[in-house]
Amino acid sequence: MIKFQNVTKTYKGTTVALRDFSIEIEKGEFAFLVGPSGSGKTTFIRLLLREETPDRGRIWEAGKDIGHLAKWRIPYLRRNIGCVFQDYRLLPNKTVFENVAFALEVIGRPKHVIAAQVPQILSEVGLTKKANNLPHELSGGEQQRVAVARAFVNRPLILLADEPTGNLDPETSLGIMRLMEEINKRGTTVVIATHDAGMVDAMRRRVIELDKGVLIRDQAHGVYGIDSATAAAGAGSPTGLALDVDRRPPSGPMEPLT
Amino acid sequence: MAVSPTYVTKEATTNLWRNRLMTTAAILTVAVSLALVGSSLLLKQGAAKATVQWQNKVDVIVWVKPTAPVAQTTAVGSQLRQSPYIQTCQFRSQRYDYNEARTVVAPDEFAATTLADYPSSYRCTLVDPSQAPAVYQQFIGQPGVSEVSYPGQQIKTMQSVIHILQWVFLSVAIVLLLSASVLIFNTIRMAIFARRREVAVMKLVGATNWFIRLPFMAEGLIQGLLGAVMAVLVVLGVYWGLGLDVQKTAANQSSIIAQMALSGWEVSSTCIAVAVVGVAVGVVGSYLAVRRFLEV
Repeated sequence: MIKFQNVTKTYKGTTVALRDFSIEIEKGEFAFLVGPSGSGKTTFIRLLLREETPDRGRIWEAGKDIGHLAKWRIPYLRRNIGCVFQDYRLLPNKTVFENVAFALEVIGRPKHVIAAQVPQILSEVGLTKKANNLPHELSGGEQQRVAVARAFVNRPLILLADEPTGNLDPETSLGIMRLMEEINKRGTTVVIATHDAGMVDAMRRRVIELDKGVLIRDQAHGVYGIDSATAAAGAGSPTGLALDVDRRPPSGPMEPLT
Repeated sequence: MAVSPTYVTKEATTNLWRNRLMTTAAILTVAVSLALVGSSLLLKQGAAKATVQWQNKVDVIVWVKPTAPVAQTTAVGSQLRQSPYIQTCQFRSQRYDYNEARTVVAPDEFAATTLADYPSSYRCTLVDPSQAPAVYQQFIGQPGVSEVSYPGQQIKTMQSVIHILQWVFLSVAIVLLLSASVLIFNTIRMAIFARRREVAVMKLVGATNWFIRLPFMAEGLIQGLLGAVMAVLVVLGVYWGLGLDVQKTAANQSSIIAQMALSGWEVSSTCIAVAVVGVAVGVVGSYLAVRRFLEV
């Protein structure tokens, strides 16, 4: 579903955001992207959204080599990707319903489709009662649920999240994570960039760790950092210290996934 | 993907209303500059018309002094008929012009004149219109002749005045059109800035470029069009106000304006040109802003 092959991205020629970075994330996977600020997590997401292009290397997404995507096709690529941010990015003058409906309107979905899909997704994220509220009338967690609903209403193949719980307390964060898990269960590939250690430790999913743009760890059922991994192992975690760092060279172009 | 016209119009008008002060400034600048363009187009066409008329049927007018005795007047007349340059000649008495003035001149102005103020004259058609200056040379200074005039002279003066006016109008108009484009560019930029959150979300969820761009471009188009409509009204005002719609008749044939009279078709094509330029200014200004500030 997502494949980076020897991708290097620098800003203004000096700041290295990603260095010779290769990774493969299969369809239906749930992965955390961890690392300190400036480690390249956000660049990873921006590359997938085609807001940036790599200096070197190739990126496949949903079966397409997005490095060679014509400009006019970018919007159609983005329709396959849902994206959630730390700051929710809701439109303050639109209600919850309108915010979610907007995502469908601007890609030209007919009215009857909007009328059917928006209430459905709102009930899935548990916001049916708040449909006519404005964003500022909601709590942070509720606002992020609206953002998730907006990202997922079009049933994208991939859901990306950049620090989705950065502004939320641990309990609310867990709710958002459970929601992401639900979405993942429906077959959508989920990638979450975060430095929320507690969340990563609690979820025990694949962890991809970056430091200064370099892949330093790729672990199947990982925890946030080596220290917490050791701590978890000491506490008798079932996964233990299974560090299976994956630095295999990519095995050719990815199969097209539809 | 087709973009719904209803959506585009709704978004564009909302934006225009939100930013109405800048919008008004842009529309007025478009209007003033296009009014100048339109008026100079009218003048240009009028001048061309008058030139053609002069070339087709020139009248040399030999004015006889009002005090000249009858013998001198008839002597001038017979000389004219003998002149090899002249094809036909028509005598107009003082009474004739006096009566004509009664219908043409405003009543209060007319009341201030007397019969003696209207010299009698000979109106002549030439064999070759370009020889008018020779006729002038021959008859100016003759006993009883006060003045020899030929409309070509007036038209030439008029033409050079119009020519200068045209350049002045056009250069002012170009400067104003440029500032109109900049104003439209700026209103669109502000509109884009005001809606940056919406635009960011649109891009994120995969709205096509044209879907995002069209409402802003429609906004520029509407500004250009409204400015053009106002300019067209000014052009029509000039047309009727100056009396350019009055076709040449026997009664007003010596009037320069009548020589310049334009047909309805000529005026409507001028108006269409003005409208096209207005729309173009709006679309170009907004397209540049959209290109600059809305890139994916």
